[in-house]
Amino acid sequence: MTETWRAYGDDILTWRGSLTKRIDRRAIMRALIVFAVAALAVTLVSSVGTSAFAETSDTATIAASSSTVHADVETTDAEITVDESSGPGTNRVAQNVFNGLVFGLLLALASVGLSLIYGTTGLSNFAHGEQVSLGAMLAYFFATQQPVSIPLTPWEFVIGWPLWLASIAAIIVAGGTGWLQDRFLWSKLRKRNVKIVQQMIVSIGLSLAMLNLLQWWIGPDRVRVSIAIEERHQFGPIQLGSTTAMSIGISIAVLLGVGYFLLRTRLGRATRAVSDNPSLASASGIKVDGIIRLVWVMATSLAALGGILMAFYDSGTKFDVGARLLLLMFAAVTLGGLGQPFGALVGSLVIGVVVETSTLWLGPDLKYATALGILIIVLLVRPQGILGRAERVG
Amino acid sequence: MDLIYDLLREAIAPTTAAFALAAIGLNFHFGLTGLLNMGQAGFMLLGMYGYAIVVREGGPIWLGILAAIAAAAVFGLLLGWPTLKLRGDYLAIVTIAAAEMIRYLGRSQNLNALTGASTGIRGSDFKGSFEMLSPFPDEQVTIWVWTFHGTRSTSWWLLLVGWALVALFLLMFWRLSKSPWGRVLKGIREDEDAVRSLGKNVYSYKMQALVIGGVIGAIAGIVWALGASVQPDSMGRPTTFWIWTLLLLGGAATVFGPVLGSILFWCSLVLVKGLASLLIPESVLSTQELEPFSLMLVGIALMCLVIFRPQGVLGDKKELAFND
Repeated sequence: MTETWRAYGDDILTWRGSLTKRIDRRAIMRALIVFAVAALAVTLVSSVGTSAFAETSDTATIAASSSTVHADVETTDAEITVDESSGPGTNRVAQNVFNGLVFGLLLALASVGLSLIYGTTGLSNFAHGEQVSLGAMLAYFFATQQPVSIPLTPWEFVIGWPLWLASIAAIIVAGGTGWLQDRFLWSKLRKRNVKIVQQMIVSIGLSLAMLNLLQWWIGPDRVRVSIAIEERHQFGPIQLGSTTAMSIGISIAVLLGVGYFLLRTRLGRATRAVSDNPSLASASGIKVDGIIRLVWVMATSLAALGGILMAFYDSGTKFDVGARLLLLMFAAVTLGGLGQPFGALVGSLVIGVVVETSTLWLGPDLKYATALGILIIVLLVRPQGILGRAERVG
Repeated sequence: MDLIYDLLREAIAPTTAAFALAAIGLNFHFGLTGLLNMGQAGFMLLGMYGYAIVVREGGPIWLGILAAIAAAAVFGLLLGWPTLKLRGDYLAIVTIAAAEMIRYLGRSQNLNALTGASTGIRGSDFKGSFEMLSPFPDEQVTIWVWTFHGTRSTSWWLLLVGWALVALFLLMFWRLSKSPWGRVLKGIREDEDAVRSLGKNVYSYKMQALVIGGVIGAIAGIVWALGASVQPDSMGRPTTFWIWTLLLLGGAATVFGPVLGSILFWCSLVLVKGLASLLIPESVLSTQELEPFSLMLVGIALMCLVIFRPQGVLGDKKELAFND
């Protein structure tokens, strides 16, 4: 038994060698091609849009000025980000690319978990976005100086923990929800041999329930986790706030940790074995259910961390922040190759850069749409994603 | 007493008919063919835009309906082209993404002249020509316990048209699902490879089902818009999830499942809200918390349905073996 397992480990080691080689050349080439095609398509679409509506631009501007009053939070957030980036001496392109990289790193925290869950269980977890919101909301719940309450109880109280403590508590609680979910829901469904399609619809139900629970609990308004105003420093052509710098540090450290765990530790190797072939892994003496539970806890904690850092980055958060990110995560995960954690990282960075730089051509209210456009292009050109292995599907 | 009246009103309201129509479309996708279309709201939104824009610019009603159908058909072809050859969940991800993209485009300032951005298109801009056709008087009309306006918005006229369309598409679904064509679709749902080995072009059959279901969704969107207005944010992802919930509630792959599901879904929402506001004191659950509370119950109901009774109220468990 142990020997098979060792042999399998060696197998994975050689596979890893080829993996790094592939990241180097072909993957980056592909990412660049996808990026270029997407940029071209976006420019084309926007130029067509402008020329088609040139004659009606008078009415459009009038309508636009009247409707900016009604413009809701989604648009206003985006506009704020643009205003921040256009400081004196700042190169807008460089700033946007940099913002995109930061956004991509934060997105990667969430999508690596999504990819791990997909890899080990085959489930496209539609409730993963709500795990991101849950992290942010829990951090707000623990840290805010405003009175908070728990649904269906009449008491209001203030917790007001310092930010670091609140964040850690939020991550622990969110990881706990991952454990509970797997213990009482997903493992039961797997044991009952419920089909993947049905499990996916269950996750949709869960996302609907969690989204509305969060709205009920924290309320429909935008909240701020931290009220401190961050200092901005100028580094060459870009501006960088101190909180953002810290977020970058934390996310890089955590992502490196996840990479180390997956590549170097015994448990991580077992995780990859499970995502490669669960029955073979089980036959080699790996406790598949234990690994999957670990993956759920990891994925939900990473998502919560992503949500908290995203709340700092956007200087505010809302109950549906994760619901809006979910599609970007899916785009990132598909772009990188479904079930490939490192693919999710590469995909997130590409998506992040594209989303942020698209605001140079398009209005900020269309920035998420570009990511979804990329998703469709990827499926046309290379459905297995950048790092995925080609296999016949359907 | 008010609650019972509200329930009866909700049971026949045009919204219920619109959602029943959308669910019939989804029944073609999921019930017959096993396609995971998570973007039915996008098809509805396209239908609304197609109809409302054409009619607003002075086009006749038939041209508006044609525009809606064409938009949905093209959208279906575009979505199916890259994904129908891939595994099922790719279609789910792409449809959900594409539906959101339609919504983002619709509410984008760049297309303000066409779609009215996030405010949408006001009902008065496109409802006129439809309401002109109404045979009912231009006033409140009471028939038995129901009182609706004769012609405007949520009217007896729209109700008649909506439910007539429901009946028409139910008939179509019933005939098609019994036809050789429908049997091939069911075969694809159960075992795609087996059907392929019989020499059928699975890709083309799936595409046909996707387009037909999407077109029915677009027509549902028109009915919905005629009862309210064109509002991109009302057709977000939750709407798609509601359609799924009510289809699974009534029973996928059954003829009357979508209609029963739609009626049960909307009535139970009204019932939950009514009972909660009656029984739970204001201090524990305030009025603005009622909405998320009842929608949370919808989510939990969807989970429980899929786990414990995947065939719904009317369905047959043996009929519906999900194919991975």
